[in-house]
Amino acid sequence: MGARGEVSNARIAGLALLRPAASTAATIVLLLQRVAERDREAFSALYTATSAKLYGIILRISRRRDIADEVLQEVYVQIWERAAYYDASKGSPITWMVAIARNRALDEARRKKAVSIEDTPEVLGIADEEEHPLDRVEKSQQLLRLSQCLDALDSDRREVVLLAYREGMSREALGQRFSRPPATIKSWLRRSLLQLRDCLGQ
Amino acid sequence: MTERDEIDVLAGEYVLGTLEAAERAAAHAQRRQDPALDAAIVAWEGRLAPLADWVPPVAVPEALQAKIEARLPVAEGQARILALERRAQRWRRVAIATSALAACLLLAIGVRELSRPHVPKTYVAVFQKDDASPAFLLTVDLATRMLSVRPVAAEPPAGKSYQLWIASEKSGGAPQSLGLIEAKQASTQRALAEYDRASVERATFGISLEPAGGSPTGRPTGPAFHAKLIETSR
Repeated sequence: MGARGEVSNARIAGLALLRPAASTAATIVLLLQRVAERDREAFSALYTATSAKLYGIILRISRRRDIADEVLQEVYVQIWERAAYYDASKGSPITWMVAIARNRALDEARRKKAVSIEDTPEVLGIADEEEHPLDRVEKSQQLLRLSQCLDALDSDRREVVLLAYREGMSREALGQRFSRPPATIKSWLRRSLLQLRDCLGQ
Repeated sequence: MTERDEIDVLAGEYVLGTLEAAERAAAHAQRRQDPALDAAIVAWEGRLAPLADWVPPVAVPEALQAKIEARLPVAEGQARILALERRAQRWRRVAIATSALAACLLLAIGVRELSRPHVPKTYVAVFQKDDASPAFLLTVDLATRMLSVRPVAAEPPAGKSYQLWIASEKSGGAPQSLGLIEAKQASTQRALAEYDRASVERATFGISLEPAGGSPTGRPTGPAFHAKLIETSR
């Protein structure tokens, strides 16, 4: 979030630098307001604009299409029901929606223990190839800062944080992955989280 | 560890997803009672949000949308009133513009053509300052080619002015000044008579931060917002 009075985006120098704005976040905020008023067209637009992103996030955690499909449905029903509670002062609408999606996917993953690692070797395979995934994305200021703070962690501990967030791996699964007991993973997480918090200074 | 550390670690593990099922359920129940934990969870969601950006989107099976829409509960009066009350509290600043805006923003994201038989050609653009709020709202009536721009949550720093620009085919895409935006006025009007309909419709508008009195060079020199027009249905 930019400070009040601070303007974002590039300079206008010519048409090449002009980009359509009315950015996604502003649009989604307005759509959420309409959804809160039970506007089905707005819901449909919101779904079209955001479902592939949420589905990607859910699928990483749920790993199985049939589970991800069910979770996605529940997530959008929840978004419909809770749109009126979205509070812009607490963060971007996408962050709010991602939290709903991740929470639902994680609830399912923890509750059922239905998914074994063998279910999706391809998902874990992707993780193996991405030792430095942060290098490959366009770095927003926020991402850049987070990336710097993650880089300050020991590499195994950084990997634990990334795998937990993105793949939804439990302490137990992480323990197997790093050949450590879950208690060690817990203490790594503890120290990593505090270090990250202090580094980010928020 | 301090008490705050304990809360932050619990919240952090909750957001990362590493709590076991029972711990997770307990944390979920606790956050409803404990504003400190709830705030700590929201803070972690924000801190870690950039990580979600590099999870690639995946196309959703088409059948799901219809299934979801069939599951939406039918609206009842109570929920609607609640929603409106909350909305009024949270969106006071932009409330005036929302209904027209939101209706047309459906088109903005290219979702579908909403074919409406009688459409007065009014267009809107949102200039955004941060993730949370539009900073300027610009409307253009294509029939009269009158433009109106209204600051919503924007005040220039001392000694600076906001300047409005249009980049259209007419000028080969180069930004042309449409004058300064008077931040203290409710809205600033401009006639676009010299531009034809089609080029206004396709133009990109920009608002830049300039030295007081406007850009000395006739070109934007400061940081800028940009937006394109979105058709509204009302």
